[in-house]
Amino acid sequence: MPVLVGVYELPGQVADAVRQLKGRGFGELETYAPAPFPEVDDSVDEKPSQVRLYTLIGGLVGVVTGYALTLWMSNDWPIIVGWKPVSSIPPYTIIAFELTILFGGLMTLVGLIVKAKLAPRFDMGPVYSSRFSAEDFGLVVRCQDRDVAEVEALLRQHHAREVNLVDA
Amino acid sequence: MTPPPPAQSVAGVMRPRAPLQDSRINRDLLSVMEGASAGYWLLLATAAGFVGLAAAIWIYQVYAGLGIAGYSHPVFWGAYIVTFVFWVGIAHAGTLISAILFLFRAKWRNAINRSAELMTVIAVLTAAQFLGIHVGRIWKSYFILPYPNQRALWVNFKSPLLWDTFAITTYLTISVVFFYVGLIPDLAIARDRSTGLRKLVYTVLSLGWQGTSNQWKAHNRSVLHLSGLATPLVLSVHSVVSWDFAMSIVPGWHATVFAPYFVAGAIFSGFAMVLTVMIPVRRIFGLEEYITDYHFENMSRFLLLTSIIVSYAYGAEYFIAWYSGVEWEQTAFFKRAFGPYWISTWVMISCNGFVPQLLWFKKIRTHIPTLFAISVLINVGMWFERYVIIITGLSREYDPAAWGIYTPSWPELGIVAGSFAFFALFFLIFLKLIPVIAIAEVKELAIHEKAHNGGGH
Repeated sequence: MPVLVGVYELPGQVADAVRQLKGRGFGELETYAPAPFPEVDDSVDEKPSQVRLYTLIGGLVGVVTGYALTLWMSNDWPIIVGWKPVSSIPPYTIIAFELTILFGGLMTLVGLIVKAKLAPRFDMGPVYSSRFSAEDFGLVVRCQDRDVAEVEALLRQHHAREVNLVDA
Repeated sequence: MTPPPPAQSVAGVMRPRAPLQDSRINRDLLSVMEGASAGYWLLLATAAGFVGLAAAIWIYQVYAGLGIAGYSHPVFWGAYIVTFVFWVGIAHAGTLISAILFLFRAKWRNAINRSAELMTVIAVLTAAQFLGIHVGRIWKSYFILPYPNQRALWVNFKSPLLWDTFAITTYLTISVVFFYVGLIPDLAIARDRSTGLRKLVYTVLSLGWQGTSNQWKAHNRSVLHLSGLATPLVLSVHSVVSWDFAMSIVPGWHATVFAPYFVAGAIFSGFAMVLTVMIPVRRIFGLEEYITDYHFENMSRFLLLTSIIVSYAYGAEYFIAWYSGVEWEQTAFFKRAFGPYWISTWVMISCNGFVPQLLWFKKIRTHIPTLFAISVLINVGMWFERYVIIITGLSREYDPAAWGIYTPSWPELGIVAGSFAFFALFFLIFLKLIPVIAIAEVKELAIHEKAHNGGGH
């Protein structure tokens, strides 16, 4: 199937084009942006990123680990000091707090890698161009042969600076 | 009817070309990483020389024992702990700028957050070494980690020193993660514009980043979450460091004000260090367009604010000592200001309390050489603040018969100097390996501005 790549200068143009293309039923599209623009990212997919689930799980595991670690270890090797409980929650809260942050942060990184499908990549594919890491935006649409003209017109309607056809 | 062949309908049948000329932001900011002047190599060699010297002194100390440090009864926490606290403090600016200012949507942070994060990572690494140096018997420093062992012993979780272990390792890990996550899009920019070995390294490190909507979405979320996690973390780390002191019964240490006092001091010194480093970097690499006087002015306002908080804490300490009616407390503070360490105390009060008051004046906030001088003085003052707290506290405890005097020995001073060289060495190395200004975030602002001006046509 042909793949068309529109090159844009401004995020608003991309977001508008995406919305219109989706309205016409061209759902197989992807954007490339040099910087984060929520309007562009949300126009492709409105759902918030599921990275938050990873952070939550990491944080919960961290707090449980923190208390479990300290309580178990201090009972396994009790240091008996007069008037002081062996299982002393206030100081152990500090450990639990630090581990909440530690596990939550590490799981956020895992979430990013999983959800953004990050892995070293030596072949950047036919569509990606170094201009998308300069200051241009890309809007990539995959469509049927018969729709090429219509998609091109739609891309240009939103001020695409150029439209390229990539046979993929 | 068959549709016309696609090639006829589309202007160009080809992959999007690489731009004829790269964007100016890329060129300007990547140029910092290119080549290296003779001056750069000279600085690098000097820093490496001092690090080597410090390493040699440290090896001598491991061989000869801590007796070569200036410790004398009752002062057994000396320049190493002072410098440890100093570097942990420096490490606070990066996370403050990246996390807290991110949550407050202070867009001006974009120009300085990368360098500040880099300083954070290096400063925590520098600080962490001092724990090993201070314990002397470095081969036993793993005793502080809770690991299963033959003796069936566990660590004491009620000890502030152990809280510190957890706080510092967590802070190091999270600042590295934060730093790396922010760096991924910029590594992709560098990847697309490099060749050979560099390209290979950037390709691996940038993890196939292309800037698709899905990637940016996950990235934005991650940065938000990491900021949310790092904000309480950064406040906790120096609080925990302060509890190393405050949980004891030493007069002058045992104070509830210590946690906020240390956190404010940490931010104060961290911002001063960012200014001390970035003012010359901006000048040398001609980055005036990206790091403007406006950025420096904002940072100097932070200096002024935190200076006032720190000065208040100084005042509160003396007031409480007097108001408590506790003789040891009163003596400790009297000796601090007029005892054998009076010079350190007055250096601290002048550099941290009086000098930053100049920043009330806009003329001074925008006069870069003066700002640089003030930031250096603050660094000096903040090192002395920790010196005053630790050394005078220990040397004038309860019983006058047990009072003593500590003077740093030459091996201690050598290693302390080496830590500054270590910091400089790694900053200089990273300056050539990663974009020291967050390129994607600078573009974010530039493109917003372009869109706002109805631009592009």
